[in-house]
Amino acid sequence: MATQWKNDQPIYLQLKEQILAMIIDGALNEGEALPSVRKVAVDYQINPITASKAYAELVDEGLVEKRRGLGMFILEGARKNLLKAEQKKFLSKEWPEITKRISLLGLNVKQLIETAEKNTSHSS
Amino acid sequence: MTTIITAENLSKSFGSFQALKNVNLTIQKGQIVGIIGANGAGKTTLLNSILGLSAYDGRLNVLGFDPNSQRDELMKQICFISDVATLPKWIRVSEAIDFVEGVHPSFDREKVLRLLAGTTVPLDKKIRQLSKGMIVQVHLALIMAIDAKILVLDEPTLGLDIIYRKKFYHQLLEDFFDEDRTILITTHQVDEIENILSQVIFIREGEIALEADMEEIGEQWLVLNPATDNIDAARAMAPASEQTLLGRTSFIFNGQPRAELEKLGDVSRVSLSDLFVTLMDGE
Repeated sequence: MATQWKNDQPIYLQLKEQILAMIIDGALNEGEALPSVRKVAVDYQINPITASKAYAELVDEGLVEKRRGLGMFILEGARKNLLKAEQKKFLSKEWPEITKRISLLGLNVKQLIETAEKNTSHSS
Repeated sequence: MTTIITAENLSKSFGSFQALKNVNLTIQKGQIVGIIGANGAGKTTLLNSILGLSAYDGRLNVLGFDPNSQRDELMKQICFISDVATLPKWIRVSEAIDFVEGVHPSFDREKVLRLLAGTTVPLDKKIRQLSKGMIVQVHLALIMAIDAKILVLDEPTLGLDIIYRKKFYHQLLEDFFDEDRTILITTHQVDEIENILSQVIFIREGEIALEADMEEIGEQWLVLNPATDNIDAARAMAPASEQTLLGRTSFIFNGQPRAELEKLGDVSRVSLSDLFVTLMDGE
């Protein structure tokens, strides 16, 4: 499948984000092997250098380790660490933007909670 | 990093027309290099010089050989496709395999049979009886079965539909390319190969307009869509080009820090086709 890449970031970062999202939502599990650089390059139709750069980022962040001759593996505790990092990112980057927008639109807490509860009960 | 191609003051004239003007460039092993330029810019002349198919002035070193005088040696380690699907109509697939086996010392018969086994191509049929898609598969299988250090593709997918173009590059990455090999590609469908390239060379009127790693390009060249109030401020930062689409102005910048540009609006990476247009228009 061809992936539609966005224009705002380099592809290796977008690939890394995709893998992170897959770790968080459980599509990739701790202790599991990541597909080889070649497989990623072929499947996504990207240069192998781009694919290995995304993997290198994951290694640098301590989420993935390279096992000689075996490939890349997701480390134990990766999901927990990621979740913590993502929560921090949400609270420091996204949440201020959202609260700014909430006050811009003049929404109050009651409305927000009511809508949120309605949406959760719908989806569950 | 091992340098496999070096050109110094490479020039080529056809009568009074200078197809290449003092071209200097180096290409490292393990790269997929896109050579991009308008029609008549000198792409094919450059490739033909590298392949030893056309005489040139200046110095050229390919895998340690001089293509002008050591073409025989060079040909053992290099292979090329210009315009796929141009195999002789009268030859049978099995005969084409016999032929390449006979002329090329590093041809792997087992590999071509293995590659073709994964297709519906009948080995006993003549090229004329095959569909265009099948001819492409035969051609590519023949080339990929050659253990070459360099593969030169000059408009390899001309006349193929999008499905076969995709398959072509898919196969190239899956069955041929590795870090010991180097691929040089020219094509007009720049957008389709942009993500598989690691290096790009823009040629304009016989000269190198830009030669860079894709990574460098991603860092150096940025597109800015400024907020309306910031258009003048953006213009003051010396953009390489300016474009207005549906009343929205965007700029392409070379070498301005991303953080500076982000103060003025949305920043994105530049596509090779936009960069190409910018470079061809510039100066």
